[in-house]
Amino acid sequence: MSIRGPRLEFAVGAFLLLAMATLLVLAMASTNGRFSLGADRTYPLQARFTGIGQLRASGPVKIGGVTIGRVADIQVDPKRYDAVVTLAIDDRYRDLPADTTAGIFTSGLLGEAFVGLQPGGDPDVLKPGDEIAFTQPAVDLLQLVGKYMFSAGADKPGNDAATGGAGNGDTPAISEESRP
Amino acid sequence: MNAFVRAVGRGGLFALAVLRASRPTPGFLAELVREIYKIGARSLPIIAVGGAFVGLSVILLGYRALDTYGASDQVSVMLGLGLYRELAPVLTALLFIGRAGSSIAAELGLMRATDQITALGLMAIDPVAKVVAPRFWAAVICVPLLTGFFISFAILAGWFEAVHVIGLDDGTFWQAMKDAVDLGDDFLGAFLKAGVFGAIAALVASYVGFHSEPTIEGTSVATTRAVVNASLLVLMFNFVLSALMFR
Repeated sequence: MSIRGPRLEFAVGAFLLLAMATLLVLAMASTNGRFSLGADRTYPLQARFTGIGQLRASGPVKIGGVTIGRVADIQVDPKRYDAVVTLAIDDRYRDLPADTTAGIFTSGLLGEAFVGLQPGGDPDVLKPGDEIAFTQPAVDLLQLVGKYMFSAGADKPGNDAATGGAGNGDTPAISEESRP
Repeated sequence: MNAFVRAVGRGGLFALAVLRASRPTPGFLAELVREIYKIGARSLPIIAVGGAFVGLSVILLGYRALDTYGASDQVSVMLGLGLYRELAPVLTALLFIGRAGSSIAAELGLMRATDQITALGLMAIDPVAKVVAPRFWAAVICVPLLTGFFISFAILAGWFEAVHVIGLDDGTFWQAMKDAVDLGDDFLGAFLKAGVFGAIAALVASYVGFHSEPTIEGTSVATTRAVVNASLLVLMFNFVLSALMFR
């Protein structure tokens, strides 16, 4: 031990104070500053979707791109076989109109899935536990592309030459064969 | 198998003895302050330099990988989450084991070899309370604090690399990290992990030092064993804790 007494205490005190200050600055500068939206500060809403795509529990719920809650739970209705998504909405946004619509969107081409709400104009409001009546399922991009490619030739057989001329000659042929 | 279970049992009993011997007497606190200086404050340079270089290389790696997807502005998310969740607690613990764990083992091994531990027992002073407990608590306190230093130096170095060398946007760098790192999950999780790793490092190092052969060779064997065993245990526990905390 090279140092003792008051100098040692000063060195240790300086180390501890510096460490605490570092932790405080880190907590403020590099984290979102919340312990996750606590259960008591949110209220639940439900929404049914025929398809949820890549939506996962704890995904964001947004209005106009601003996060106002989280996806609390995703279940399948054992009778109707559609997905029941429980949303935990921040208590500050309590008075959503009753005709609010919910949709599942993807941020960017590869981004995370989120639930987007579009408030309507109904003077009645959604109470905690209510179900959002108007929903729009997730759009599967690949399915959409596939449908478009295969239906382009099938719908308009007369247009085959034009589609083939676009550079993908075998697409219409496959769709012709697959027809019953 | 039998030997393995008995080794685990001896370790557990030793940990219990350390906890039972920990009482905040004035003598213990004075010893604790000395140990915090020796294994905590004196470890600061290696943690700072280590953290800074880890931050630099994570940014290089993340930029290369994320640029493939055109998402290079999200590199700070990778830096922040990677540091808090895995890199900072583990690397801090490994550096701490190399710097402080080895010295704890060597110190206790030499005390054993020169019969100082036996002498304490003869004077009716509990050697575990006198020499092991202060080192244990100093490690439990210091490793989380050193992890904080590690993270801050890594983020600062990574910020320098990303913003001033690669040329990413300053505001996006900070905001993307802030949005991704959760105070409850990631931030507190990192320091919980670090505390556990500090306890593991100190327990393993003091156990092998305390129970080393009372010879010069025994001391060197104890030092080696402390570093090897503590490092492996930290890496294993890191996986278990990650699997439990971050699903």
